Amino acid sequence: MSTAKISLRQVRKEFVVRDEGNGPARRFVALDDATLDVRPGEFLTLVGPSGCGKSTLLDLLGGLTMPTSGQILLDGRPVTGPARDRGVVFQQYALFPWRTALQNIAFGLEIARVRASERTEKARHYLELVGLSAFANRYPHELSGGMKQRVAIARSLAYDPDVLLMDEPFAALDAQTRETLQIELLRIWRATAKTIIFITHGIDEAVVLGQRVAIMTARPGRIGRVVDIPEELNSGSDDVRSLPLFGRLRHEIWTLLREDVWETQNQSVAADPVPDRSRKEPVHG
Amino acid sequence: MDSLETSGLPLIPRRSRPLSRYAGLKPGTTTVLQRWLAGWLRRSWLVLVLLSLWEIAPQAGWIDSTFLPPLSDVLAAGWGLALNGQLYDNVTASLFRMLSGFAIAVVLIIPLGLAIGRYARLGEACNQLIEVLRNTAPLALLPVFILLLGIGEVAKVTMVFYSCAWPLLLNTIAAVKQVDPLLIKSGRTMGATPVQLFTRVILPAASPTIFVGIRLASASAVLVLVASEMVGAKAGLGYMIIYDQYSFLIPQMYFGILAITAIGLLLNYTLEAIEGRATRWKAPQGNV
Repeated sequence: MSTAKISLRQVRKEFVVRDEGNGPARRFVALDDATLDVRPGEFLTLVGPSGCGKSTLLDLLGGLTMPTSGQILLDGRPVTGPARDRGVVFQQYALFPWRTALQNIAFGLEIARVRASERTEKARHYLELVGLSAFANRYPHELSGGMKQRVAIARSLAYDPDVLLMDEPFAALDAQTRETLQIELLRIWRATAKTIIFITHGIDEAVVLGQRVAIMTARPGRIGRVVDIPEELNSGSDDVRSLPLFGRLRHEIWTLLREDVWETQNQSVAADPVPDRSRKEPVHG
Repeated sequence: MDSLETSGLPLIPRRSRPLSRYAGLKPGTTTVLQRWLAGWLRRSWLVLVLLSLWEIAPQAGWIDSTFLPPLSDVLAAGWGLALNGQLYDNVTASLFRMLSGFAIAVVLIIPLGLAIGRYARLGEACNQLIEVLRNTAPLALLPVFILLLGIGEVAKVTMVFYSCAWPLLLNTIAAVKQVDPLLIKSGRTMGATPVQLFTRVILPAASPTIFVGIRLASASAVLVLVASEMVGAKAGLGYMIIYDQYSFLIPQMYFGILAITAIGLLLNYTLEAIEGRATRWKAPQGNV
């Protein structure tokens, strides 16, 4: 336990929600009793159906929101807010459109008040790491989706966080670009030895990338089984998807997820519809 | 955007197209000057037609030249005004009032709008007052300003300031509120302090909409200035227009109107150029 990079201890997150037409406020449990240890340098993928609290969990890990109860420990110390020891990569890139690729990557370093010359040097290094040296002075609108996500990854790596939190980063990309970036990410992970928590709703992606796959269940969001993935599947080569082992693990995870989806659907006949995310308000700051 | 991703190469939208295509000239055979001229003609022909009509209609007797003198007469009258120094006096008086009112509004109102947009409490407190005041037409307040501030420069500059304030304030507030929350979230995850978030994320993200407010304010400044100069002033283009009408100096009156148009255009072009430089990062809109 003491060797864990990140430790979730019975983490619970509630939101205050209102039903349609200004009904009475009630509590919605987005995440319940989430317990998980992530080893230093591990690549962990979190897979689950939509609305299972994946993004809630990522916001908690990023320190953007605080748990209602339970603890989130980073190197044994509770997370109290956002900090540069964790980098977050979002599905929608979240690049600053008024900054070039290079200036975007330098943003975190600017925030950290790193000297200008050092900033540029580091930003160039990470731009090279993601293979975009030729595009340093392009604005985001001049880059393709795949390139934007590379810039976003480089931006999160540039201030050298220990942990990289990725919230469905490749979900908006086409299949070909996605596979290329998966291979790239594995390469970057090996080159930088970061601890990565990668959220996805794609089972294939979870198996190809993760050393372990944590399966989340919905309503309330919980972390269920954690499946170990043999190293040969994380090789980043093209043909891992054709291995029988890949098919077996994929099927196993799929079965676990399906059971949960069935249960959820049966429950939802009686329960209220899933509340609108935009109307959620955190219970505690 | 989806179509770009598989290609691996970025597609850079370009604004400029060979102008020769539009002028029916063979590409490669034209000089720079010819191409520039062709482009200018393509954009300006309608204005040229209108100006020609202005010249021809009174000359041909389609319209009474007493009330609409031909353009050449108007320009000649303008030349006379330029020579006797009247034009200079009136233009400088107008420009001073307009630019000072406009500048004071930009300097005072944009920070206020930023604060109101950023702090929901402040917005809540100010909202009704803003709604009441902005729906009070500035020209309706002209007599009030004259009563309180006299007919001197202060009243006119205040009028311009007041009319500039609302488009600036409303657009700045909207600009801050419209900033993509994901960008703020992204900034926060990188450990940005509230001040850093404001200066490095919110302000640049809000700037295009703030510029819309600045442009609207400049148009409003010209409008209100002319109106306030028509009531109790001893110099300025608005005064010149109304004085010339009373004195039946009709070509001079039309030249005053043209001068107002020229100032409006010049102001707009200047602001467009500044805006273009400040928001170079934006994806070109429309006909890419």
